[in-house]
Amino acid sequence: MESKFTEAYQKAPDEGYETDCSKVSEMLDLVIDGEATSEEEKFFNTHLEECVSCFESHQKQKLLKGIISGHLKRVIVPESLALSIRAKIQETL
Amino acid sequence: MSEQTGKQLSKEEKDARFEAELLPVLDPLYNFAYRLTLDEDDANDLVQETYLKAYRFFDYFEQGTNAKAWLFRILKNSFINEFRKKSKQPAKVDYSEVEGYYNSEDVEGEGGVASTTDMRTESVQDLIGDEVASALNALPVDFRTVIILCDLEGFTYEEMAKILDIPIGTVRSRLHRARNSLKEKLEKYAKTMGYNS
Ligand SMILES: [Zn+2]
Repeated sequence: MESKFTEAYQKAPDEGYETDCSKVSEMLDLVIDGEATSEEEKFFNTHLEECVSCFESHQKQKLLKGIISGHLKRVIVPESLALSIRAKIQETL
Repeated sequence: MSEQTGKQLSKEEKDARFEAELLPVLDPLYNFAYRLTLDEDDANDLVQETYLKAYRFFDYFEQGTNAKAWLFRILKNSFINEFRKKSKQPAKVDYSEVEGYYNSEDVEGEGGVASTTDMRTESVQDLIGDEVASALNALPVDFRTVIILCDLEGFTYEEMAKILDIPIGTVRSRLHRARNSLKEKLEKYAKTMGYNS
């Protein structure tokens, strides 16, 4: 409740060995960015089927990426910009 | 394989390729410049400077390679090397400074951000967009940059490494920290809006 978004990283235990949960948590970005190997993705998905908290972390991480790509407004390029770029190029030749 | 590199293009060839391959990147490039400088005039100058450099060094650009990544790299370097010094923004975009700026602008909203009247009149989509923008703008510029390159422009880690001149491992860790930081900010917002109970 305190932290819906960050708990996924906080709960990774800082111990000498890696648990499946901490491995999966480290893989989150790779997976949502499409940078994981198919092997990594297989391990990831298998773990998510049996671990609710990693499943939720994955949902949240996807949501965050979706919020950026879906809700950040793009700024409109001033119409004069392309023209002034062309003009500058011609005059500095 | 790089026989074409350094080959002198005629002015006509150069102009044609400039129009066909580089100018179509204007929109994402301007958006990137704006997110870096947070100022429309500065973004304008930065984009113009980038295109002038690109034109000057066009002979070094290999046809068929990633024009968008090449231009983003030039823009990022211009921003670091020259632009940041003369920009109105503080040279080091310090988190607390930028956040202070936001807080002071939003004073009226404090405590009443989610007043029901606003919720009815303004589109919820716009409110979310604005909040995402302020959360992103409040991040240090290095964090902002990786989020924009990855989530907005869809560059791969490898492309980002080339654009930013950093190893892929650094791309990953920076992106990870940037996202955590952004989450914290958006979470505060979600709480204010009552999404997080
Ligand atoms: Zn797990």
